[in-house]
Amino acid sequence: MVTLDAIRRPARRKRGIRPTRGYRAFMVVNAIVLTGVVVVTLYPFINIVARSMSDQAYIISGQVNLLPKGFNLSAYEHVMKDPMFWRNYRNTVFYTTVATVVALVLTTTYAYVLSKKHLKGRTFLVAVAVFTMFFNGGLIPNYILVTSLGLKNSVWAIALPNAISVFNLLVMKAFFESLPMDLEEAAAVDGLNTYGILFRIVLPLSKAIVATMVLFYAVSFWNSWFSAFLYMDKQELFPVTVYLRNLIAGSTGAEMAGAIAETDEAQVDATIKSVTIVLTTLPILTVYPFIQRYFVSGIMLGAVKG
Amino acid sequence: MFLLSRRRLVAAAASALALTLGLTACGDDSDPAQELSANRSGAMENFKVGDQFKATEPVKFSILLLNNANYPVKPDWLFWQELEKRTNVTFDQVAVPGSDYEQKRSVLISAGDAPLIIPKTYHPSENAFVSSGAILPVSDYIDLMPNYKDKVAKWNLGPEIDGLRQSDGKYYLLPGLHEKAWQDYSLVVRTDILQELGLQEPKTWDDVYTMLKAMKAKYPNIYPMTDRYSQPRPTGNLYNILGSSYGAPGGWGFNHATWDAASGKYFYTAASDKWKDWVTFLNKLVSEKLLDPESFTQTDDQARSKIATDKSFVITGNAQALVNDYRADLAKNPKAQMKKIPLPIGPAGEVNPAPRLENGVMISTKAKDNKNFVAMMQLIDWLFYSDAGQEFAKLGIEGTTYTKDASGKPQIVDSINVVGMHPKAPKHLQKDYGFYNGVFAYGGKPELVQAFFSPEEQEYQKVLNARPAAPWVVPPPAPFTDEEREQATLWETGLRDYIEQQTLRFILGQRPLTEWDKYVTELKSKNMDQYMELQQKAYDRYKKEHG
Repeated sequence: MVTLDAIRRPARRKRGIRPTRGYRAFMVVNAIVLTGVVVVTLYPFINIVARSMSDQAYIISGQVNLLPKGFNLSAYEHVMKDPMFWRNYRNTVFYTTVATVVALVLTTTYAYVLSKKHLKGRTFLVAVAVFTMFFNGGLIPNYILVTSLGLKNSVWAIALPNAISVFNLLVMKAFFESLPMDLEEAAAVDGLNTYGILFRIVLPLSKAIVATMVLFYAVSFWNSWFSAFLYMDKQELFPVTVYLRNLIAGSTGAEMAGAIAETDEAQVDATIKSVTIVLTTLPILTVYPFIQRYFVSGIMLGAVKG
Repeated sequence: MFLLSRRRLVAAAASALALTLGLTACGDDSDPAQELSANRSGAMENFKVGDQFKATEPVKFSILLLNNANYPVKPDWLFWQELEKRTNVTFDQVAVPGSDYEQKRSVLISAGDAPLIIPKTYHPSENAFVSSGAILPVSDYIDLMPNYKDKVAKWNLGPEIDGLRQSDGKYYLLPGLHEKAWQDYSLVVRTDILQELGLQEPKTWDDVYTMLKAMKAKYPNIYPMTDRYSQPRPTGNLYNILGSSYGAPGGWGFNHATWDAASGKYFYTAASDKWKDWVTFLNKLVSEKLLDPESFTQTDDQARSKIATDKSFVITGNAQALVNDYRADLAKNPKAQMKKIPLPIGPAGEVNPAPRLENGVMISTKAKDNKNFVAMMQLIDWLFYSDAGQEFAKLGIEGTTYTKDASGKPQIVDSINVVGMHPKAPKHLQKDYGFYNGVFAYGGKPELVQAFFSPEEQEYQKVLNARPAAPWVVPPPAPFTDEEREQATLWETGLRDYIEQQTLRFILGQRPLTEWDKYVTELKSKNMDQYMELQQKAYDRYKKEHG
C-alpha cells in the first residue's frame, strides 16, 4: 500500500548494498596499495621525460625529479636531426608490421588446426610446439641455420625464427576450442568449406583474441633487438632499439682490462639517452589505451569455458 | 639416433685421438710464409718500411667494424675515400654496435662466418678462438709486415710480444704498439681546495691520506673522496692504480698470477702481502670516513653528481673524464679547478704500470685461402703500423684536416673539432671525416699518441713516461694448453668472485683484517694452490720447449 509519505520523501537508502566495515577497510587499503604501485611505476617514466627536456648540468647534480629544470629541447633537436635515427625508426615500424602479420597468420592457422579434435596427428603437432618451449638449439646453431637459409640482412631473419610464440599459440587454441561446434556444423551444412568457415564464421567471432595477439606480438617485435643485432650487418638495417642500446650501453658494454682506447671513452649525454627512450616508447604508449580493453578480456578468453 | 655400441665408441674415440695427435705432431715442418705464391694477387712486389702501400689492382676485404655511438659509421667519410685513393683498397664492412661487439664477434667466429679482418680485439680474448683454428697464427706471417717488425725491434717490444704466445709458441693477435707506456688513469683532485688548505699536490699515497685528512678536518660533514667505474665490479680503476703502486694490481689490471721478477716465480695476487697492504690502506680511508663507502657500488652518474655538488673533492679518472665529465659538470662553479695528478707512488716505487701493447687485429683463417692474402697483410701493416698509415688514420690528410707547424707538431685546422680542441667548430674529425677512430687509430710514437693532448696532459705524460716500466707488466710467457685453460677458467671464475666479495668486505670493515690468514686458507679451498701449480707448470714447460 503506497502511503503519501513514500511519495513525498525520496527513499533514504542509496542504490546498492551498503558495504560492510570490512569491505570498506579493504577498499581503503586497496586504494593505498594501488596508488603506491602507480606512483612507483609512473615516477621513473615521468623522470625520464623530465630529463629529456632538462639541461645536462642539472641532471648530473641530481636536481631533476618530476619537472624539467633548465627547460630546453636541444636534445630533441639533436636526436631528430640524425638521419640514421629516423632510418632505424622506419625499420622498426616496418619490421614490426611485417613480423606481426606473419606471426598472426601463422599462429592463427596453427591454433585453429590444433583446436579440431578430429585431426589425425594432433598430439604430435602439439608436442612439436611444446617441445620448442623447453629445448633450444643454442645461439650458434641458430645463427648457422638462419644464415645458411639466406635470411641474413633481411626482414625475414627477424620475422620467421620468432614467428610463433607457443604461449600465444596455446591461448588461441584454447579459445578456438571454446567456440561452439554447432556454429561450424551449421555453416558446413550450408555449404562452406574449411577456409570459408575459418574466414567467415570463426575469425569474425575472434576479434578479441586476435586484437590481444596483435598487441602481444607487436610489443614483442617492437622491443626486440637481439635478432636484428645478430643477423643484420649494416647500420641502415638496424631497428631503433639497437640504435638506442648502442647509445646507452655503448662504451660500457664490456669490461676491458687495462686502458680503454682514448677515443671511445666519452659517454653520451644523459639528455640524449632520455630523448631516445621517450621517442622509442611513445608509439606503444599511444596505441595501448585503444587496444587495452581487449587485453584484459583476451587473456581470460582461453580460460573460461561454457 | 643409432645406438653406439661400446666397441664403436672406443674405436671412434681412439681414431679421434690419433687424428688429433697426428695433426699436432705435424706442427711446423714447412715455413707457411713460403707457400704463398697463389695469394700474391694485388700485392706489392717490394714492400718495405716507409713505402706507401698501394695494391696493384683494386681489392676488397671484409672487416668487422665496431660502431661507436659517439661517431657512428658513415659511408661518405673522407677516411674511406682517401684510403681507396692511396691504397686501392675498399672495405666490405660488417657493422656491429659497440654495445655488444664481443658477443657478435664471438658468434661470427664460432659460426665460421667471420670477416677476414677482426680489429678491436683485446688480449686475452683471442685465447678462446685459438683451439678452434678459426683465427690465423699471425706470428707465422710477420715477414710480410716490415713496418710491424721494424717497430717491434726499434721499441724493444720483443718480451711483451712473447707474452702473447700460446702453448704452440705462436701468437694469434697483432697487437697495437706503443713506444711509451700510456698510463692515462690516475687521481683527479680539486686544486682550489688544496690551495684553500695550503696543501701541495700529493706525490705518494701517504700524501694522499694526509690530504684527505686535512680536507675532512675542514669539511667534516662530507667524504672527501668518492669513486666510480664500479660497474660491473667495484672500483675497477682504483683497485688497478692503487694495487699497481703496491705491486699487486686488482680491478681492471687484475691477473690471478702476477710475476715476481725478484724471485723468478709467479705468486697469487690476491693472497699476497702486497694485496693485504693496499686493502688495509683502503680500509683505513673508509673507517676514518675519508672515502665514500658507496664508491664501490654506485653508478658513474652518481659519482659525478657528488663531485658536481661539492660533496666530494677527489675522484679517479683519465684525461677524457677530466675534460668531458668533471670540468663540464663543475662549469657552473667558477672557483672549482680540477687536475689529474701524476699517479701517486706506493711501496712498489716510481713505476709506470701501463702495458705497451693494446687492442689489436685478429685475422680469420679463411684469409689464407684468399688470392689477395699477401696484399691484405701489407695493407694491415701499412695502415696500423707504418708512420704514414698511423698518421693518416689518426690525423687525416695534411693540408685538409691538419697542418704541421715549424717543429713538425700537428695542429688540427680551426674548422674541425676533436677532443674539445675547437668546441665551436662546425665539423668534427671523428663524426664527419672518420679519422681518429678507435678501430683504426691507436698506438704509435708518443708524439702521435699525444698529438692532441692539452698542454697539462702532456706535462702529466712527461712525468709518467719518465718512470720505468713496472716489472710485472712484462711477465715471461706461460701459456696454457686447451685442457689446462678449461680447468683454469673454471677455477678462475670461482676465485675471482670470492676475491671481489671478500676484498670489499675487508675494505668496508665488515670483515676484520685480523681474519686475513683465514681468508687465504679459504682461497686455498677454492683451488688457489692447484691453479698456481698449473701456472708454474705452464711456465716451466714453455721455458723448456721454447727457451
